Amino acid sequence: MSTSASPHDPVTPRAKDGRAPDVFVPDGWVPMRCHADTEEVDFAIVGAGAGGATLAARLAEKGFSVVCFDAGPYWRPLEDFASDELAQEMLYWTDPRITGGADPIALAGNNCGKGVGGSTVHFSMVSLRFRPEWFKSRSKLGYGYDWPVTYEEIAPYYDQAERALSISGPVKYPWGPPRGPYPYRPHEVNAPGLILGRAADRMGIKWCSTPLATVSAPHGKSPPCVYRGYCHYGCSTNAKQSALVVWAARAVKAGAEIRDMAMVGQVETSADGARATGVRYHREGEWRVQKARNVVVSGYAIETPRLLLNSATPKHPNGLANSSGCVGAYLTTQSGPGVWATFEEDIRWSKGPPNMAVTEHWNYTDEGKDFHGGYAFMSQGPLAREWGQNLATSRGLWGEDLQRGMADYNHTMGFVPVGEVEPRACNTVTLVDDEFDQYGLKIPKVTFSYSDNDKRLIEHSVKFMGHMLDAAGGRDQWRNDDTSHLLGTCRMGDDPRTSVVNADGRSWDIPNLWVCDGSLFATTGGVNPSLTIQALALRCADRIESLARRGEL
Amino acid sequence: MLHGASAMLGASVLADSAVEHYRGSFDNPGMYTPLVVSAVTMAAGIDGASGQWLPRRMRDGMYALSGAVGAIGVGFHTYNVLRRPGGLNWLNAFYAAPIGAPAALSLAGAIGLAADEIAETSHPDRLKLFGIPVGRALSAFTALGLMGTVSEAGLMHFRGSFQNPFMWLPVSLPPIAAALTAKAAIEPAGERDGRPMTRSWLWLTSAMGIAGVGFHAFGVSRAMGGWRNWSQNVVDGPPLPAPPSFSALAIAALAALRLRDLEDA
Ligand SMILES: Cc1cc2nc3c(=O)[nH]c(=O)nc-3n(C[C@H](O)[C@H](O)[C@H](O)COP(=O)(O)OP(=O)(O)OC[C@H]3O[C@@H](n4cnc5c(N)ncnc54)[C@H](O)[C@@H]3O)c2cc1C
Ligand code: SF4
Repeated sequence: MSTSASPHDPVTPRAKDGRAPDVFVPDGWVPMRCHADTEEVDFAIVGAGAGGATLAARLAEKGFSVVCFDAGPYWRPLEDFASDELAQEMLYWTDPRITGGADPIALAGNNCGKGVGGSTVHFSMVSLRFRPEWFKSRSKLGYGYDWPVTYEEIAPYYDQAERALSISGPVKYPWGPPRGPYPYRPHEVNAPGLILGRAADRMGIKWCSTPLATVSAPHGKSPPCVYRGYCHYGCSTNAKQSALVVWAARAVKAGAEIRDMAMVGQVETSADGARATGVRYHREGEWRVQKARNVVVSGYAIETPRLLLNSATPKHPNGLANSSGCVGAYLTTQSGPGVWATFEEDIRWSKGPPNMAVTEHWNYTDEGKDFHGGYAFMSQGPLAREWGQNLATSRGLWGEDLQRGMADYNHTMGFVPVGEVEPRACNTVTLVDDEFDQYGLKIPKVTFSYSDNDKRLIEHSVKFMGHMLDAAGGRDQWRNDDTSHLLGTCRMGDDPRTSVVNADGRSWDIPNLWVCDGSLFATTGGVNPSLTIQALALRCADRIESLARRGEL
Repeated sequence: MLHGASAMLGASVLADSAVEHYRGSFDNPGMYTPLVVSAVTMAAGIDGASGQWLPRRMRDGMYALSGAVGAIGVGFHTYNVLRRPGGLNWLNAFYAAPIGAPAALSLAGAIGLAADEIAETSHPDRLKLFGIPVGRALSAFTALGLMGTVSEAGLMHFRGSFQNPFMWLPVSLPPIAAALTAKAAIEPAGERDGRPMTRSWLWLTSAMGIAGVGFHAFGVSRAMGGWRNWSQNVVDGPPLPAPPSFSALAIAALAALRLRDLEDA
């Protein structure tokens, strides 16, 4: 990890001694309640991303004592984030991992963040809800798996998440059950977004401005978005409503402790294996143990199963919560083949957040498909370095060709879908027995292959997006292949034999061990996952509160 | 007073269209027109309100130009909205050219013309516009103008999600002032109490228009970099020159009330 360009020293924690960074004030601090390792706290949460930070905030607001660990730094966006794509790679999880299978997934920047806020610090802010039927896709649509929760149960938490994140979106969203306007109005759609709109109008399908987690008007101390398009490299204005800016700040204010630069190596269990007793973590050069009445794992779809597998004991030889054998299995990603074209007009697609217009046409239309599942697709806006890399590695341009390709940068535009991928037992996160990371922990291996259905979905999307680009007047089309989000390695379900946790994220095997992050997903749907992850976390907090009231924790 | 209101509206349009059309990079050469015309209107208004050095015919020509250009502007802006992807929808209402904005120029022109008409006669109480006594006509006209401005502020503040509670002011105070002014336009003659209620609401509306500049300045300070980054934030933040159009219309309405009093007498 190259951090020399960052003012932040990557080893020394910032959140300690009773204070945490104030993300809104350069060099500012906010008071933070701190706990001793020996003090048994109500909840130890591993990971301060979309799932973990949200849950930490809500549990603290409900009066529970909470320590939330994150392996990475407590960022100060106003000071740490430079307009330098390479330096900003410090945001990515770049610890050693092995990737394999027939369609190996590119890891790190593409899908995993490290630091308070998790992957939402460099995510694209697209905030879409699941199509209601997807929660019961086996019974209602005839493929995939049913979740143990319904859309109706999650809907109030979608509302709550959208309000908390001040999502800026359309006054009337064209798909799904009717609902009111988003909390904030849509952003002005940039030129690539308007090209999507033009193409959609010509092809007679619906489109709209993308609901985004960046504010279109001031909110609290967040200024409105300045449309500079650095979102994939950390937003240096705090317009982006990341888990760092929204939930971590709320968590600390409500009395949670966030421990940055603290890598959890094991979840500790009692000698009889019946209960989790705390977490073993590495901070400031030493291993320590935090005692806790409950442990929640929120490290995202690779680190969560890895931690559970790395916590194996003689009582749980296959890893914790793994009697079903599902920990690490059913890994899904979302397919993201890109189709690109050159236009006469001046587009300047790097201006503004990268995905300003969307169509969910193929999420809500079931006819005319030779595959199961759905996909949304959006207008794109990569920065120049990212685009140069794509031209060189995917299109194979080099030398003069690359130069000519880059000269068209401001006249290029393309679409990338978020394509549903079938959850399959053969796609996994496992441990590599003889390779260790900087903490001496076994590293994970990610194995992934597309199914035939996945491939048909990809080809359908490529063809359709190509028609759209034609309709908008693009020429010299070409395509590449990519993936995005990682999901599903500790899926929730109704049956302890085929799932890791129940609808509340509580593990079937160890009642005080929970999971709260993207690994819960039983199916992925064709939308980006973070809003659903946050809705699940909000629901989990409410469930924990009512279980605690009934003495069932 | 009416000339003054015209000048004020002209100034508001000048500053607002200058900033907004600069933001639109004067993409179409026609985008310079409102700058020139609103400056002309402002000059006519100032001339009318002070020395009246210009011959009346010339001043009226200037006002008429303003009226016509405003109407053409509405046409252009409507065209701009309709040709964008999505056509007539919220997104374009928020971000395409504001349909109602050029109408302020027409208002300024019409008020100016009426002002000259009134100045000419020794019996303003007997003067008629479109066959309607001038006080009533102007009251109705300014009430409509106020409501138009309310809808524009409402749309823009909705776009800003009413994130600050004070953003509700321009959609709650002026409608009352407009309703009272409209009442003055249609109520039977003989109400000779001087309409203190209507006048107070109009003064309040006019004060709010001035205070609005302060609120908008605060809004600019909340953008990234605040006033230190004024060259971007004044352009992209809440428009400083917009709120005084409320003041201009309220003042015109007060003048109209004075004529109404004469008519009633
Ligand atoms: C480039 C990019 C663009 C994206 N765009 C979108 C988008 O537009 N919309 C959308 O909905 N989603 C998007 N996503 C996906 C979204 O960010 C993730 O799905 C979401 O953040 C996952 O939430 P999580 O809580 O599961 O994990 P994360 O948010 O990744 O948080 C996990 C945290 O746990 C920490 N951690 C892991 N293991 C340990 C350990 N052992 N000890 C201590 N800490 C640990 C990590 O450091 C990390 O901070 C994007 C992701 C990327 C990378
Ligand atoms: S475009 Fe907006 S959200 Fe993206 S980095 Fe800039 S200010 Fe932040």
